[in-house]
Amino acid sequence: MSKQIQDAYLVAATRLPVAKRNGFYQTTRPDDLLASVLRAAMTQLPALDPALIEDVIVGCAMPEAEQGMNVARIGLLLAGLPASVPGITINRFCSSGLQAVADAAARIRLGEAEVMIAAGVESMSVMPQITGNKLSMNPAIFAREENIGIAYGMGLTAENVAERWKISRLDQDTFALASHQKAIAATAAGHFKTEITPFSVESYVPDLASGEVNMTQRLVDTDEGPRPQTTPESLAKLRPVFSARGSVTAGNSSQMSDGAAAVVLVSEKILKQLNLTPLARFLSFAVAGVPAEIMGIGPVAAIPKALQRAGITQQQLDWIELNEAFAAQALAVTRDLNLDPDKINPLGGAIALGHPLGATGAIRTATLLHGLQRTGGKYGMVSMCIGTGMGAAGVFERL
Amino acid sequence: MYRLNVRKAAVLGAGVMGAQIAAHLANAKVPVLLFDLPAKQGDSNGIVNQALDGLRKLEPSPLSVKDKLQYIDAANYQQHLALLGECDLVIEAIAERMDWKNELYAKIAPHLAPHALIASNTSGLSINALGSALPVELQPRFCGIHFFNPPRYMYLVEIIATRQSDAATLDALESWLTSRLGKGVIRALDTPNFVANRIGVFSILSVMHHTARLGLGFDEVDALTGTRIGRPKSATFRTADVVGLDTLLHVVQTMCDTLSDDPWHSYFTAPAWLKGLVEKGALGQKTKCGIFRKAGKEIQVLDLVKREYRPATGKVAEEVDAILKLKNPAEKFAALRNSSHPQAQLLWSSFRDVFHYCATQLETVADNARDLDLAIRWGFGWSQGPFETWQAAGWKNIAQAIQEDIAAGRSMSSSPLPAWVFEREGVHTAQGSWSASANNYRSRSTLPVYQRQLFPEMLLGEAVAVRGSTVWENDGVRLWTHAADPGIAIISFKSKMHTVGAEVLDGLITAIGIAEKDFDGVVVWHEAPFAVGANLKQIADACTAGAFAQLEATVEKFQRASQTLKYSQVPTVIAVQGLALGGGCEFVMHASKRVLALESYIGLVEAGVGLIPAGGGCKEFAIAAAEHAARTATPGEVFNFLQPVFMTIAMAKVCKSAHEAVQVGFASPSDTILFNPNELLHVALKEARALVEAGYAPPLHPRDITVAGRNGIATFEMMLVNMQKGGMISAHDYRVAKAAATALCGGNVDTGSKVDEEWLLTVERHEFVKLLKTPETQARIVHMLETGKPLRN
Repeated sequence: MSKQIQDAYLVAATRLPVAKRNGFYQTTRPDDLLASVLRAAMTQLPALDPALIEDVIVGCAMPEAEQGMNVARIGLLLAGLPASVPGITINRFCSSGLQAVADAAARIRLGEAEVMIAAGVESMSVMPQITGNKLSMNPAIFAREENIGIAYGMGLTAENVAERWKISRLDQDTFALASHQKAIAATAAGHFKTEITPFSVESYVPDLASGEVNMTQRLVDTDEGPRPQTTPESLAKLRPVFSARGSVTAGNSSQMSDGAAAVVLVSEKILKQLNLTPLARFLSFAVAGVPAEIMGIGPVAAIPKALQRAGITQQQLDWIELNEAFAAQALAVTRDLNLDPDKINPLGGAIALGHPLGATGAIRTATLLHGLQRTGGKYGMVSMCIGTGMGAAGVFERL
Repeated sequence: MYRLNVRKAAVLGAGVMGAQIAAHLANAKVPVLLFDLPAKQGDSNGIVNQALDGLRKLEPSPLSVKDKLQYIDAANYQQHLALLGECDLVIEAIAERMDWKNELYAKIAPHLAPHALIASNTSGLSINALGSALPVELQPRFCGIHFFNPPRYMYLVEIIATRQSDAATLDALESWLTSRLGKGVIRALDTPNFVANRIGVFSILSVMHHTARLGLGFDEVDALTGTRIGRPKSATFRTADVVGLDTLLHVVQTMCDTLSDDPWHSYFTAPAWLKGLVEKGALGQKTKCGIFRKAGKEIQVLDLVKREYRPATGKVAEEVDAILKLKNPAEKFAALRNSSHPQAQLLWSSFRDVFHYCATQLETVADNARDLDLAIRWGFGWSQGPFETWQAAGWKNIAQAIQEDIAAGRSMSSSPLPAWVFEREGVHTAQGSWSASANNYRSRSTLPVYQRQLFPEMLLGEAVAVRGSTVWENDGVRLWTHAADPGIAIISFKSKMHTVGAEVLDGLITAIGIAEKDFDGVVVWHEAPFAVGANLKQIADACTAGAFAQLEATVEKFQRASQTLKYSQVPTVIAVQGLALGGGCEFVMHASKRVLALESYIGLVEAGVGLIPAGGGCKEFAIAAAEHAARTATPGEVFNFLQPVFMTIAMAKVCKSAHEAVQVGFASPSDTILFNPNELLHVALKEARALVEAGYAPPLHPRDITVAGRNGIATFEMMLVNMQKGGMISAHDYRVAKAAATALCGGNVDTGSKVDEEWLLTVERHEFVKLLKTPETQARIVHMLETGKPLRN
C-alpha cells in the first residue's frame, strides 16, 4: 500500500462516442471535444462548485496544432469553467489519459487538492501524419544499434512481440474478431449508454449551388469503430502492413480514432460535504519501461507493480481494461502474466472501439468504472503499452 | 477558317469506350458530361458513377492523372438532357444497335446547341444510315468518329463523313482531334467496319484460317505473328483475347451481314471453337479465360486437337527464325514463300491474302493506300502497313507471286488482283499514295494543323523530309537547324535509345557552346525515347577497371552538362516524348523550359541499379524544396517538401504521363504539354523563339539554399529502418536510399544550414561514387545490362 494522507474518489466519469479517424469528428476540433466532455462531467455533479477545482490535467499524445498550445487550459475555458481553474496538458503517449487520472489522484492523496479533473483528448484526424505535424529524428538514434528501437514504428514492435512470444496470425485474428463481437454486443445491449455523453457534431459546408453556408448538426451517441461485417475470412484476407512476412494487419491492430473523456476526482471531505456518490476509489498506479523494440509488452512490467501497490492479487481483479494496441501484444501480455482472458475487455477493446492515443486511458477508465457499477465487480484495472517502450496500469476499487 | 471550340463535351454511353473517351477529353482539359441510362435502384447516376470508379482502377490508366476525373460529371438521360445545350461536341458511344441509337438521337436532338457537333463512335454501323435518322438541320454537323481501344493510347481516330456532313466542320474536327487530343486522323469511307477494323480483322481471320489449315497451335502462331514481324507482342490470338472474343465475334458478324458481295465473304464467319468459347463465357482477358488463360503462374493455351488447355510453350522454328532475321524484305518474303515449313507457309499465306484483300478492296474502303497503311499502323500497332510491307518486298515480284497463287488455287479467294496493281512499281511515291477510286496519287492533307508536324510519320516509299542542315556533330549528338527557324539550334542525340554516355555529354556541352555564340536559342529534340538514362556499359567497364577517379570525373561532366543546359546564355528548350529516365530526366529538369508530349514517362530510376541521381537531380529537388519552404510561414522547414521526392527517388518511380511529371516536380506547371508528339519540334522552336523575344536571361546561381541536413537524413532513416526491419527492402536498398536522403538533405550538416549549388553537387557526386564502389551496386548494373531487369539484392 502506498503512503497517502487521504483517498481519492472518482465521482464522475464520462466520455464522448469514439469516431474513426476522419470519421464523424473529421472537422471537429479536439479542443471542442475536450470542452464538451469537461462540461458533461461537471453537469453530472450539480452540487460541485467549479471554483473548487484545483487543476485540470489533460492527457494528449500529440499536443500540437489544434490540440496544442496547452489544450487543457483552452478546453476548460471553452467549457465555461472559471478563469481561476488552471489546466495542464501532459503526454506519455498512449497512457496519457490514465496518467492524468493518476496525477489528479496523486494531488488529492497528497493533500494538495480536494477536487481535480483528469481528462484525455486526441484527434488523429487533425494530424497530417500519425507522427505529428513535424517528425524529426535525432541522428544519434542511428549511431548506436541499441537505440534504433526508438525509430521503430509501433506496428513493427508488434511484429517483434508476435515473433518473440510466438503469437500466431490466427490467434491475432481470432482475438480481433472477438473484440468486434464483444463491442457490437455491448453496444446493442446499451452497456455504453451510462458512460457516453452524446456529442452534437456541427459542420459548416459550402453549398456551391446556392452560395450559402449550410450549417448542419448531427448528434452522435455511438462508437463508430465496431464492424459487424468483420468475419474470420475477411480478417484472414488482409495483408501484413508492417512486415513483408509478418502477421500484424490493419484488422488485428487498433483503429486510429478521435475521442475525449473526463473524470472528476474528489477527497473524502468533499465527498461527504456535498454528499456525492462515489463510483470508485483510486488504489494505485504504476508505470515501467521495457525495450523500445518490444514496447507492446510494457504492461507486463507495469501491472505487477500497480497490483502490489494496490495490495491486491491479479486474481482479485474482476475487470481488466487492457488496451488492444495490437492483438499480438495484448495476447502476449495476457499469456505472460497469465491474466484471465474472460476478465479482459468484456465490452471489446481498441481493435473494435478505437484508440484515440492520449484519450484512451481516460476513456477506458470511464468504461471500467461504469462496468464495475453495472456488474457489481469490486476491483478493476486499466493498463496499456506505450510507444518507445513503457507500460502503465491503474487499479480502482468500485464503491 | 471554321475553328472548333470545345468548351464542354458530352459522351453518351458510359461503357468501356465511352468512359475512356470521356477520360481522354478530361486529360485534354475538356470538361465532360458522361451520360448513361438512369439506374433503376439507388443513385440515378449509379451506372455512370460505377464507370467513373472503373476509370480510376483501369490499367493502363485512361487518366493522365487521377484528379482529372473531377472534370467528368455524371449524367443520365432522364434528368440531365437539358445540360446537352452547354456542349459543343457530343460523342455517342452506346451499344451497336441502330434502333437504340436512333431512339437516343431522337431524344437528344431537341436539347442540342445549334452549333454543336454530333458524332457516333460506332465501329461498324453505317454512318449515313445513322445520320439520316437525325433532324435535317443537324445532319451537316453529324459524322462518325471512331476511336480505338484504349483511346488514350491508340493513335488512330477514323472520321467518317456522311453525304450531308459539312466539309469545313469535319476539317475543324480533324484539326482539333489531331492537335488537341493528339490523334492520328484517317478519313474513312462509310463502308462496314471502316478501314482499320476491316483490314485488321480480315488479317486475324486469315491467320485463323491458315492456322487451322496448317494445324498449328495458337501459341506457336502468336510467337510468329508478334514482334518478329513488327506487330504488337500480343500478336494475333492474344490480341483477340484482349479485344474480347465477343467483340471480335460481333465485328465478324457485321462483316458477314453487310459484305455479301465481298469475294472473301465465305470466310466472314467465326470458327466453331471461337463461338464455343464465347458461349461458355470465355471471352478473353475480361473473363480471365479465352484462347489463353493463366493457371497459377503458367500461361496456358487452348489446344484445338485435345480440346483442352495446355501450357503455352509454342516457339518459332529455327529455320523460320533465320528467315525472319533476313534484313532484305525481298529475300525474306521469297524465302518464306519457298519454305515448306508450316510456320513459313502460315506467314507467307496470311501476308499474301492480306495483300490480295487490300489491293482488291482499296477502292471501296479507303481514299488511298497511305490512309489504309496508316490506319493499320495506328489502329493495330503494326510497324508497317500492308502496302508498304508489300512495296518494300518488291511490288512487282510479290504481285506476280500472288497472281500465281491465285491461279494455283492457293489463295483464300480466286478474285483476280485489280489491274492497277500491275501498272506500277508501288503505291507510295514521292508525289503521293495511290488512290484506286480516284485513279491517281494523293498527296498529304493540306490542313494547316499538319504544318505543325515538321516530321510527320512517313511510310516506306514516301518522300522523306530532309532533316535540316547540320551545324556540327560528334558521335553523341548532332547540332542542326530546321528551316522553320534557322536561328534556333537543334541538338539531337545519336546514341542507341538515346542513352547518355561520354560522347553525348561532350557533344551537349560543345553544342550549347556553339549555340551561345552563333544562335538565339537551343532545342533538344529527337524521336522517342527521349533518353533511357546513362550509358551503363561505360560505367560497368570503368568499374571493372577500377577507374573510380575517371568515373567521378564523368559524373562531374554529367553535372556540368546539366548546369550548361540550365545556365546557357541562350534559352534551352527540351522536347520530350516517351521514356526520359535517370540522366535523361535530369537533363529535362535543367532546361530553361520543357515541351512534353502527354505520353512522356519521366523518372529518376537510378535506385534500380543501386545508384542515386547525380547529374544534378538531387540538387534540383533540394533547391526546389528550399524555394517551396521559403514561400511558407516556416521558411526553414524544408523537410516536408523533400519527403515525396525522396519516395519517388527511392522507389525509382516513373511518371505515367507528362501531367504526373508536373505533379512530381520533374517539370513545371508553366511547361507546355502537347497531346500530339509530332508537334513537339514545331512547338519547341516556337517556345525557344518566344523566350528569346521576351529577352531571355539565364537564372542566377541560387545561394543560401536551406537544407534539411542531419535531422532530415535521420528522419528519412527512420522510414528506412522500418522498411528494412519489416523485410520490405534489403540492406543495400537501405544504403542506396540513405545516399539519396543525404544528397537531398545537403549532407551531414546542421539542419537549416545554408549551402550553394556546388556544395549540393559535390554531396550527390560523392554519394554516387561511394555506391559505385559497392559490389551490390556493381552486381545490379551488370544484371541490368545482361537481362534488362533490376536485380533485387
